[in-house]
Amino acid sequence: MNGTKKVRALWRDYLEKSFNITIPIVAVLLAFAVSGVIILVWGSNPFEAYAALISGAFGGPNAIATTLIRGTPLLFTGLAVAYGYRGGFFNIGAEGQLYMGAYAATWVGVTLSGLPGWLLIPLAILASILVGMLYVLLPGYMKARRGTNEVLTTLLMNYIAIQFAEWAMRVNHYMPGVTKFDDGSPAVWTWVNWIGIKDPTQPFPKSPFTVEAAYLPSLKSVMQSGFLGELFGQAEWYQAIFNHPAFGRITLAPVIGIVVAILIFFIMFRTTTGYKSRAVGLNAQAARSMGINVPRTILTTALISGALAGLAGGMEVLGNQHRIIPNFLVNAGFDGIPVALIGQLHPYGVLLSSFFFGALRAGANKMQIVSHVPVAVVYVIQSLAILFAIAGGTLDIESTLKKRRMMREREAAPSAPPQGSGEVSHAG
Amino acid sequence: MLDKFVQIFITVDFYVAILRMATPLLLAAIGGLVAEKAGIVTFSMESMMLMGTIAAIVGSGLSGNVWVGVLLALLGGMLIALVYAFMAVTVGAHQIVTSVALNLGMLGLSSILYALAFTRGDEIIQQVIKVPGLEVVKIPLLGDIPIIGAIFFNHYPLVYVAYVSVPLVWYVLYRTSWGLKIRAVGEHPHAADTVGINVHLVRYLSLLVTGALSGLAGAFLSVGLLNSFMENMTGGRGFIAYTSIVFGKWEPGGVLLGTLLFGAADALQLRIQPMGLNIPPQFMTAFPYVVTLLILILVVGKASWPASSGQAFRREGK
Repeated sequence: MNGTKKVRALWRDYLEKSFNITIPIVAVLLAFAVSGVIILVWGSNPFEAYAALISGAFGGPNAIATTLIRGTPLLFTGLAVAYGYRGGFFNIGAEGQLYMGAYAATWVGVTLSGLPGWLLIPLAILASILVGMLYVLLPGYMKARRGTNEVLTTLLMNYIAIQFAEWAMRVNHYMPGVTKFDDGSPAVWTWVNWIGIKDPTQPFPKSPFTVEAAYLPSLKSVMQSGFLGELFGQAEWYQAIFNHPAFGRITLAPVIGIVVAILIFFIMFRTTTGYKSRAVGLNAQAARSMGINVPRTILTTALISGALAGLAGGMEVLGNQHRIIPNFLVNAGFDGIPVALIGQLHPYGVLLSSFFFGALRAGANKMQIVSHVPVAVVYVIQSLAILFAIAGGTLDIESTLKKRRMMREREAAPSAPPQGSGEVSHAG
Repeated sequence: MLDKFVQIFITVDFYVAILRMATPLLLAAIGGLVAEKAGIVTFSMESMMLMGTIAAIVGSGLSGNVWVGVLLALLGGMLIALVYAFMAVTVGAHQIVTSVALNLGMLGLSSILYALAFTRGDEIIQQVIKVPGLEVVKIPLLGDIPIIGAIFFNHYPLVYVAYVSVPLVWYVLYRTSWGLKIRAVGEHPHAADTVGINVHLVRYLSLLVTGALSGLAGAFLSVGLLNSFMENMTGGRGFIAYTSIVFGKWEPGGVLLGTLLFGAADALQLRIQPMGLNIPPQFMTAFPYVVTLLILILVVGKASWPASSGQAFRREGK
C-alpha cells in the first residue's frame, strides 16, 4: 500500500515538473500554416519559403551556429520571464534589465582592462547579474510591500534604462591612455566619464570593445585546449568537428545558458525557494495561510528574474557583440515573454522554445533572399503561435493539474462538496 | 542658458507642438479608458494603433483620399480590438500575454501589408512613399483669437476629435446608463451579471470604442504627422497611452493631463536639441517615465484600479 502511494506521489511529481509539449507544437504548426496563407497572398510559395527558412536555420554548421547565437539571449530572458511569471511577478522589464546588465558587463570589460580573463569574465558576469537585480529591486519591493502593479513599473523602467544606455553611449568613457577626444579637443576627464561608456576616440554613439580577456572563449578553443584537447586532440574525427569555423563563432554563452536552465529547473522544483515562489504565484492567499512569507517570496522571485535578465545582457556582450551600440539587442527582453509562454513556463521548455525562436530569426534572412518573403513574417509566426497556444489553454498548466488532482480526490470521496469557482483569475 | 530655456516656453509654436504630440496619445488613451473602466487591460493599444497607421496609409495611398484612409484606420483598429476581445473576453486568456502577442504580430503584419499594397512585381520598395495627408483646418472665429487661436484652433482635424473625445467620454462614463453599466462591469462583474447586464457584451463594445480611437491615433501618426509609413511607427506610443491612463488614475481629466505631459516632454526634447543646451535629450525623453514611475510609487494606490481589471468573467459554477 505504502509502495503504491509512493509511486503515485512520484507520478504526480513527474506530472508537475514535466511540460506539455503537444499544444505548443500544434500551436507552432498552426502558426506556420496560417502564415503560409499570408506568404501565398504575398505571391511566394510557402513550402519554398519555409524550406529556405529551415535551411537558413539548420542547413549546415554555420546556420546552426547562427541559430544558437540568436537563441541565447532569448533563453536567458525567457527564463527570467518564466521564473517571474511562475512566482506571480510578471516581469515585462526584462528589456531594461538586459540593457543595464549589458552596460555593466561592458563597463567592467572596458574599465578593468588590466585583469586576467579568469577573473575579468566572472567579474563582468557578476556585475551584469547584480545590476539586473538592482534594477528590478524597486518594482519587486513595491509589488511585495504595496501591491504596486509590476507590469507597469517594469515597463516604465524599460524606457528609463534604454534612455540611460543611449545617454551613456554618448558620454566619453574614462580611458587613461586617451589624450584627445574624437572632436580633436584635449581630453578632460570628470566624474561623469566614469559613468559614460562611449568610445572617446570615435564620433559614434557606441562603446569601445571590451579587452579581449573579457571575450568568452569559443567552443573551438575550449575543445582544443585543456583536458579535452589532450585527450582527443590527436583524433582525426575530433579535429574534423571542432576545427570547423562554426565552432569558432559559438562561444561558451549557449553552454552557460543550458547550464543556467538546468539550474533554474532545480531552483524551481527542488528547492524551498522555488516551491515558495510557485506557491505564491499559484495562490498568494493559500501560500500565506501555509505560513509562507509572501512579500519576501515575491521580492526573491523578482530578484531571480532580474538576475537572469541582467545575465542575458552580460552574456550577449561577453559572448557575442563585446560592446554596446544603440539598438544592440532589439526586443530581446520583450521576446522573452513569448519564449517563456511557448516554453510552457518550464525551464526545459524555455530552452527548446528559445532556440526555436533563434532559428526563426536565423532563417528569416535566407527566406527573404530566396523567396522574397519579408522578415516581418517571422513576427507574425511568433505572434500566432502564442495566440494559438493561449487559446489551447496551455498557459494554465498548473491549474489544469490542480483541477485534475481535485477531480481525483473528489472521485475518492464522492460526498465531498464541489470546490472552487470557475473564475479564471489572473492578477495582472 | 536659462533665458534660452525660457524662450522655448514663450513661443506659440511650442504649445502647438505639445498638442500635436499629445493628440495620438490622447486619442488612444481616452479610448483605452473606456475598456479599462470595463475591467479590460488595454496593453494591446499598441497593436490597434499600428493597424491604424498602416490602414490609413493604404487607404489614403490607394484611393487618393485621406479620409478613406482615416475611416479604414478606424475600422482596422476595431478589427484588432475584436480579435483582442475574443481572446480576452470570450476565451478568457491572460490579457497582457494576449496583448504582447498581438503587438508583436501587428508589428510584422503592418510591414507586410505596407509592402503588399505598394509593391509592384518582385521589387521590394525601398523609398518612402508619400500619400495624401491630413491638412490643417483653422476653426472659423475661434481660430482668429490671437495666440489662443493659433495654439488651439489651428490643427489637423483629428486634434479636434481628441478635444471632443475627453468631455464626451467623461459624459458617457458618468452621466449615462451605458457608462454606469461599463463601470459596474469593471468594478463588480458578478453583481452586474446578477442585475442582468451582459458583461461580455459591454466589454466587447467598450473594446470596440478603444479600437476605433486607437485606430484614429495611428492614422494621426501616419497620415497626420508624416504622410508616410515606417516599420514600428508607433514606437511604443500605445504603451505611453496606457501609462497615461494609470497616470490619470483612470479619470478622463487625469488622462488628458498625462498625455499633455508626455506631449510636452516630446515637444521640449525636439526644441532643446538644436539650442545646444546642456540637458541631454535622453533625460528629457526619460523624464515623463520617471514622473509616472514616481506617481505610481508615491500616489497611485490599489484603489485606483477598476476592481476586476485583467480578470476574465465567468459565471459561477460553470
